[in-house]
This record gives sequence, C-alpha cells and structure tokens, in this order.
Amino acid sequence: MISSLLPAWLAQTPTVEEIETRVALDSAILAETFYFWTVVIMWLIHVGFMAYEGGAARRKNVMSTAMKNILTIAVVTPTFYYFGWYIYGCFQEGWPKSGHSSPDAFEGFCGASAPWSSAMGPNLQDHITGVFFLAFLLFSWTTGSIMSGAVIERIRLSAYLILTAILGSVVWIMDAAWGWSSGGWLVTQFGFHDAIASLVVHGVAGAFAFGVLLNLGPRIGKYTADGLSRSFRGHNTHLTLMGLMLIFTGFYGFYAACLVIQSTVFPGWLNIYLSPTTLGAIAWVITIGFAGGFTGGWFASKGDPFWTLSGGLAGVIAVSAGADVYHPSLAYLLSISGGMVAVWTGGYIEKKLRVDDAVGAVAVHGVCGFYGVLLVGIFAGGYPTGINNVESSFGGQLMGMMAFLPLAFLPGYVVSWILKKMNLLRVPPEVELEGLDLAEFGMDFYPEFERVPEIIVEPDGREVDGAPVLLDAYWQANGTSSTPVGTGERS
Amino acid sequence: MFDAFPYDSWLTPDGALNEEIAEFWTYGGGGSTGTWILTVLGFAVMLVSFWGFVILENRKLTHQADRLKASGALDRPAAG
Repeated sequence: MISSLLPAWLAQTPTVEEIETRVALDSAILAETFYFWTVVIMWLIHVGFMAYEGGAARRKNVMSTAMKNILTIAVVTPTFYYFGWYIYGCFQEGWPKSGHSSPDAFEGFCGASAPWSSAMGPNLQDHITGVFFLAFLLFSWTTGSIMSGAVIERIRLSAYLILTAILGSVVWIMDAAWGWSSGGWLVTQFGFHDAIASLVVHGVAGAFAFGVLLNLGPRIGKYTADGLSRSFRGHNTHLTLMGLMLIFTGFYGFYAACLVIQSTVFPGWLNIYLSPTTLGAIAWVITIGFAGGFTGGWFASKGDPFWTLSGGLAGVIAVSAGADVYHPSLAYLLSISGGMVAVWTGGYIEKKLRVDDAVGAVAVHGVCGFYGVLLVGIFAGGYPTGINNVESSFGGQLMGMMAFLPLAFLPGYVVSWILKKMNLLRVPPEVELEGLDLAEFGMDFYPEFERVPEIIVEPDGREVDGAPVLLDAYWQANGTSSTPVGTGERS
Repeated sequence: MFDAFPYDSWLTPDGALNEEIAEFWTYGGGGSTGTWILTVLGFAVMLVSFWGFVILENRKLTHQADRLKASGALDRPAAG
C-alpha cells in the first residue's frame, strides 16, 4: 500500500525552486499584511489627535478643531499620492541627479514612485508598494496633526489645509528622503540615525508649526497688556486625556511601521536604513519610554494632568531616534529627561517667547524631536547606520539637525506669511470672539447643553469670566480701550 | 464571459503569472494613456479643491463677521 503511494507522493513533492518561489511569495504576503495592519493601528493616532485637540478647544471651537483633523486626510492623501511619494523616491541624493535610476538602495525606486507608474496602482506582481506608501501616508497625516493642535481656535480651516499639505507632502517627506531612507545623503555620508523618526516626523512638524505660529499670533486675550500669559480652559479635559491615550496606542503601529520586515533573512527585521534590528527591541523602548515620559512630565509639571500625559509623548519622542539600539534602562532615563524638557520648554515658549501654542506641540514634538536626535549622537555614537555601515556620530546628528531646522521652519514661516499678507491666514476677530463653529458650520457642538460663561485664568491664578476680558482685548486690538480687565471675577 | 479571457496564455511554462495578467488588472498599465489621463484629472481636481476650500470658507467668515459688526454686539460701550 505504502509502496504504491510513494511514487505519487514523490511526484507531488515540489522542487527546491518551487519551494523558494512559494517562500518568497509567503514572505511578501506577510509583509503586505503586516504594513496593512500597522496602518489600521496608526489611524488611532488621528482619532486621538482629534479628541485631544477637541478637548483642549473651548466649546465654541470644538467642531472647527475636529474638522481640521478630518480634512487633513482629505488634502494630504491626494497631494502625497501625486507628488509626496515621488519626492521620497527621487530626492534621496538631495536633488534627483541620478534621474529615475535611483540611488544606492533600490534601483528604479524613483521612477516607481511616480503616480503614473505601474507600482502606484493595483498590481498583482507588487505586494509591497501600496502598503508601504500607505504607512508613509499615515506619517504624513501625523505631521499635519502635530501642527494642527498648535494653531487651533484662530486659524482659517483653508489656511491650515494649505499649510498641512505643504508640511505633509513636501517638507517632511523631503527630510525623510534625506535622512530617513537607506539612500539619503545624510545617511550615506554622515551616518545620520533617527530610527523611529524623532526628528524627521516630530521635530520637523514642530519647527514648521513654530514658523506658522509666529505669523498667526496668539488667540485674542491670551496675553495681558503687560505680556503675561492667561490660560484658557479646554472644554473637556477627559476628552483630551483619552485622545492622548489613543495617540499612545496608535504609536505602537507607528513604531512597527518604521521597520522593514524581511522574514526570510536573519534577523527578520531591518530599520528604515536597512540595518538589522528586531520588533522586540523597539517594543522595549516605546513602552518604557512612555513610563519615563509620564514620570518626567509629572514631576516637572508638579502633577499637572495635561503635561503628565504630554510628557509621556515627549519621553517616547526623545528616545525614538535610538529606539533600535537603546537598552531599556537607558531609554527609561532619557525619556524621563524628555518629559521634563517638554514641560520646561513649553512654559518658556508660552511665557517668555509669548508664542501661543495651544497644546504645547512645539515643545513636545519640536524640541523633543531635535533633542532625541542629539541624544543618539551622545549615547549611540559609533553604531553603524545603513547599508554603507557609516558610524553614527554627534557631528552627523548635528548635521541632520542643521539641515532639517531651516527645511522645516522656513516653509512654515514663509507660506504662513504669504497667507497673512493675503488676509487668508486668520479668521476675522469678530468670528474668533463668537467662536468658529457658528461661522464655519452654523452649529454648536453640544446643542442640547446649556451654555455657561467662558472661564479664563488670569496670570495670578484668578478665574474670571471670559467675556469682558476677551472684549477688552478685542477693543484694544481695534484701537480703543474700555472697561477694566477682570471685572467678571468669580467668587 | 470570463471563459472568453485567454487565461491559458497568461501562464508561463513554469506556471507563474506573467506580466500580461498584471497589466490586465492594472488600469491602463504603467505610463499608459489611460493612467496619464487619470493622473492629470486627479491632480486638477485636487488643485480645484484647494481653491474651493479657500473661497467657500472666506465667504462664510466674511458673512458672519459682517453680521456680527452690524448687530452691534461687539461695540464698545459709550463712555460714562
């Protein structure tokens, strides 16, 4: 019986070549599935940003704040498809001097990233491009959402959409081409190392947002005539904290999507520079990074809930650049410092520089993004980076910072300056006072709830009714002063 | 109807799918006239949408600001 089955079984046994073909297909499907699900998880980042910023907004601006996050998807997706991905494929050498035969790592990638190429659509022979593109697209949305929180309650929706398209589909992806790719000139020449995008996503978005904020100016009533800072009460702190927790959850997808999976080759995973790592290595760092960040944020802010959670985000951002090589204990210590840096610089930006960043995005993402890359130069100098095994170094990290600061800040500043000159950057002050939701959408976000007076916290800590303060600031801005500020003090 | 497609000719001798089938299932194929037309149309719609976002919002904001000014709700109280 057995002897009669053996020839049939042998006849069905695949050849080595057939097994190799099947394993290669299986590996490609695994990669395709992996990136698809990282994209799903990363959606939570945007759910979280919407909740986080919506909670931080005053009731009169909730819908406009949320709509900004939603429409980020509407504008960054097509712009990234039509030219953002092409920039990543073709500008890794700085300028596409090799034309469509692209540089070091992936020959032909430049041409394949053009929207008219066969790779940029349904293609039975390409399992990777679509999902890899999507993962990068989600990073692009993230850069827009980072800026989004800083500018709430006074920026025009359309101005924000123009700025976020430039940030998400030109600025960040250009820096990713230079310093977050295996063929980027900063990587191949200077060993620039930013494994999980401390600087290339967070730092750059923060610097871009800072440039925008300088032209946008503070919200009406944010500062007293003496330049002291008032606080506006967000309408729902619970929503803000829940939003931050959703962002943290999405960050696991973000972290995973930063790796390249290659299941048939030891050790199975590569970082974005194609240096070996593991998913477990970065899982250590992100988790302990949150722990350290919360701790640093808690102590630096003396227990402020908003800054404790923002500290968690800052802590992770501070260790992301070296997440593939840091020991967990080192990540813990560095992330504590990151949480503290965010709180301190956030206060400095608000109170000393008098820049009204509504959610501390410049401090959390911008400052800690640059800080994280600097830390790699100090604590991970000497680790080989990329396919050329160029050693990472303090000088190489500084080179990246010097390249990315103007690349990010200048477009944000210049484009917002142009929009300001065209009177298209900021909503009219009358609309800002009344709230953007009624003007933009003709509705209140909570129509069934009774309206209560808006509360503002004066620099000395007194809580006062907001209306007189805001009206006085409005009248002063229009050239006339009037009633004393603070007449609506609460008992 | 599917039987009319030349499935057999899409298979190479070793049984792997060839480029022809990939082309068939990809609209127009890379760099084809169809793909170029779609790309240009999509790009144009994207640009128009930006223009629309600006114009529509500006109309709404101007209207509401004018209405608020006309209502006198934000006027400074008279001295005394």
